[in-house]
This record gives sequence, C-alpha cells and structure tokens, in this order.
Amino acid sequence: MEFFNLLLIFATAVLVLRKPSRERLAFRLLVLSTVLMVLLFSMATRTGLLPGLNY
Amino acid sequence: MEQTASGVPGARQGDGLFTLLALAVLFLMLVPVGMATFWLGFARGDSPCVMCWEQRIGLILISLTGLFVLRFGPRPKYIGMAVLVAGWGMFMALRHVGMHAARDIGQGFSVEILGAHTYTWALFAYWVCVIVMGAMLLVVRSEHVPAAPRTLRGVERLAGGAFLVVVGANLVQAFASTGPPPFLGQSDPVRFSFNPRHWHWSLEEWRPLPISLRGRWAVEKPDLRTLVSDPAAGPLVNLPRLTVKEQRPLTLPLDGPPTDLAYDPATDQFLLATARGIYLTDGTLSRIDRHTIVDPGYSVDLGRFAGAAFLDEGALIAVGENKSYVVLQPNDQADGDANFRFFLESRDRFDEVTRGRFGTVRARLLYVMSAAYDPGTHAVYTLTVPNNRARRLVISRFDRRDLTLSEEYSLDVAPASGLILAPERGLDQLFITGAAVADGKLFALSAAYGTLLTIDLVGRQVVAAHAIAGLTRPVGLALRGHDVYIVDDAGMVTVVARP
Repeated sequence: MEFFNLLLIFATAVLVLRKPSRERLAFRLLVLSTVLMVLLFSMATRTGLLPGLNY
Repeated sequence: MEQTASGVPGARQGDGLFTLLALAVLFLMLVPVGMATFWLGFARGDSPCVMCWEQRIGLILISLTGLFVLRFGPRPKYIGMAVLVAGWGMFMALRHVGMHAARDIGQGFSVEILGAHTYTWALFAYWVCVIVMGAMLLVVRSEHVPAAPRTLRGVERLAGGAFLVVVGANLVQAFASTGPPPFLGQSDPVRFSFNPRHWHWSLEEWRPLPISLRGRWAVEKPDLRTLVSDPAAGPLVNLPRLTVKEQRPLTLPLDGPPTDLAYDPATDQFLLATARGIYLTDGTLSRIDRHTIVDPGYSVDLGRFAGAAFLDEGALIAVGENKSYVVLQPNDQADGDANFRFFLESRDRFDEVTRGRFGTVRARLLYVMSAAYDPGTHAVYTLTVPNNRARRLVISRFDRRDLTLSEEYSLDVAPASGLILAPERGLDQLFITGAAVADGKLFALSAAYGTLLTIDLVGRQVVAAHAIAGLTRPVGLALRGHDVYIVDDAGMVTVVARP
C-alpha cells in the first residue's frame, strides 16, 4: 500500500509541475494521499493508538 | 502568466520567499528522505518498518505541499494541509519514539544516525518543519498569491526535479520491500535487496487485532471489591486454617479507610496508613501518637498509599499503588512552616526525608498494594497485584541505601512444602495487600481467598500457606510478637496466631 501511496504522490507532483491547469485534481490527490497515510499508520498501530508512554 | 513586482524590473512578488521554500523542499527531500532512501536503503540495505514508511511519506507530503505553494502560491488550503501533515507527523514520530524511549541506553529499533535512531530524527524533522512553516508564514502576504500558476524558476525547478527523483527511488524501494497493493509494510522488515528472490511481501498487518487507545498501558487501578474472600476457592488446596484470636473495630479518628499496617517492636508502635495519611499509634491500636497527611501531588505523584513500613532509626516509608514512595522521619522539633510544602496537616510532627519512585522491570506494568521492610538485609519489598492486562505475582526488593531495585522474581511453591496448587490455578491469582518480614521470612496476605503465604526470602519460594476465614477486604498486615495483626478497609482488626 505504501507503493500505491507513493504512486499517487508521484502523479500529484507531475500534475503540479507539468500540468498546473489540473490543480483541482492534484489537490484532491494530495488529500487522498494524506488520508491514506493516516489510515495506514492508524492500522499499523491499532493495538495502541496513542504513544506507548506512561501517562 | 507571471505577476511582476512594481518598481523592480524582472522581479516577482515574494521571489525571496519562494526561493527559501524551494531550498526547504530540496533540503527535506535530499537530507532526511533522500539519505534514508539512497544511503540507508540502497547502500546499507535498511528497509523502513510499516511505521517508518508512513513517517517518511508524511515528510514527502510536506514537501509536496511546498511544490503546490511554489506553483500556485501560499493559499490557505496548501498551508493548512502542510500543518495538518506536520502535526500528524509529530504524532506518528512520538508514537514510534514512545515504543523505545524508555529502553536502556543505546537500545532501539533499526539503525542509529549521529547517536539517535531514525524514528527519533523523524520527530526532530517534523518539529523543524513546523518551526520553518511558522517562520515563513510570518512573511507571507496576500500579494504573494498569484492569480494564475507561477512559472517556476531555476531553484524551484530543481526542487521539483529532486522531488520526482527521490519519490521515484522510494517507489523502487517500496515495491521491493512492501510490494504492490494489498501488500503492506511490515513491523519487522526484511533487509532491502534489488534481488527479487529476497523480496518479502507481507499481509501480516491486515490480520485482525484488537483496537485499543493505550494498548498494554491501559491498566486498571487495583480494586478489592470484586475479590472472592473464601479460602476454599483459592489456588492452593486444603490449607490449614489459622484461628482468629481477636476481632475488633478500630476506633481511631482516621482521615479515611486504612490501607496498610506495620509494627515496630523497638517503639511498640503501629503504623497505620490511609490513602494520604500516616498514623503512629500505641501498641494496642487505641491511641494515635502522631500523624500527618501527606501532600501527594506537589512533586512526585504518590498516588494512593497502599503499603507502609517502618525502616531504620525511626524512619518510615509509605508506598503508593504506583510504587512511588515517601520516606518520613518523626521529629518533635519539625519546622511546621518549612514543612508546609510537604504536609496538609500536622506539619510539625514529621520531616520528609525523600520521595521518589521505585523502578522495576518485571513489575513495571503492575500495581502494588503492600510494602515490607527487612531490617536484616536493609531491603524494602513490594508485591504486585494482578490486573486486567497481566496476572503476575512479582516480588521486588529495593536496597534501603539507594531505594533502587536489587532483585525481583516470580514466586514458586517449594516442593517440600507439601502445598498443592489446584489444576489450572497459580499463585498469580492471589492479590497481596499486606506484607511484613520476620526471621528471614516474608509474610504476605492475599485479600483474595484469605490466604497468608510464608515466603523464604533466600530460597524465593512459598514454604507455607494458611487460610484465614472471615476476612473481608484485608489491606494491611503487621507482625507483633507471635501474633499477626490484620486490618481491613472497614477498619476491623483481626488477630491470628503467627504460623
């Protein structure tokens, strides 16, 4: 899934750098990548979502 | 279409700002992300774990928002995304650091750079991002936002090119070490290799697991209310019974329910503890000689006193459920004003010698409800109680001189004791709330199943056990001569003959 997310990021950067007219699509991809990052990290840490420290 | 600044031929609004931003993007992609990819990954074979991957992607996303700003100007939605990602990145890094921060010196996960492990640097990198973004926002003006996409200049195009190269390299590394969807990064990744035969794609992170906020740290405080008191239901079968010699209620004006009991033969005094209070009484538990109420929270959080014991030379120790402690010394000439910071009541009857925290290893995620002192070995003992996460009876011994852990172990039953554990039962089902040492033996009273253990401190085994019927939530135990004094949380004192 990390590969997929990096693929999204790469495509977003290409749009920004080469096709600035597609700004709206690029921004949506940026949001999608961010959400995917949050979801994947949360899934990886779901057995202890908060930092494992002595609160 | 370019926006030009009035009065400066060839220059555009905010060129300096955009140059700084381009350099920041370049730095972020080449130093933390680029070094992690090319040097640690391709050159040294390091593969990110599943958490490292997301932290790295977060840094890449911050750089990507930088490219958005270079192209479209500093619009609020890009800055907002950058702040969101940086904030989440700091949380990710803290979550990761939290797994390893309390380990022994030098220990950690994966590789170390300049004395710190990679996930620690992620926390630093995100922190720097937030600082830099804040500084840049100070100089952003509305006129920096162009009406149309900007034309990128040399350093800005360089930043964009570097971004594509580094992300391209990450695509290679991610494909090799995590694979295409639905494969996902791993908790313990395999060393990076360009050889497909060494690639290990995993679905282990998709397996069902319980969801929790604090994980193994979500430990409930001890609660006696649900314990079974009947000795016949305990893990040790056919225990001999101790006969109750006397049972009477305490009539002392305590500030709350008792939480522990100790006895000092040198002064013929009992020590009664409450959640916050320390009471020295006469040898019949009928008169309070002196007392104080400790301020539990101004410094070390003492929690709720659960154990208390006499130390040497009149000093005494009170231990909280959280293994934090305070050492007090009775003093008739104590300066009440100087002691204002330590005590809530009766400030001129004790001095506070020290307060601190007992650190343990095996008992780290377990609370205690007892404390005992062995004057023969100058050692303080605590015994753990089971909780919703862990069921383990751990005895910890702390040296009186530095109040630091000297030894800890789980209990066994001595084979020669003749004690029999019921099938599928263990000593870790006991709930020790009172303890005292005499003649090299540790006497430990379990509020669950009304069981009194006799533990040989040299052999570290239970050498005898007895049942005491009729106890309801006992919280403290003291040895006085040949008698065992037990106090419960309702203030009832039970006396049995010492086994």
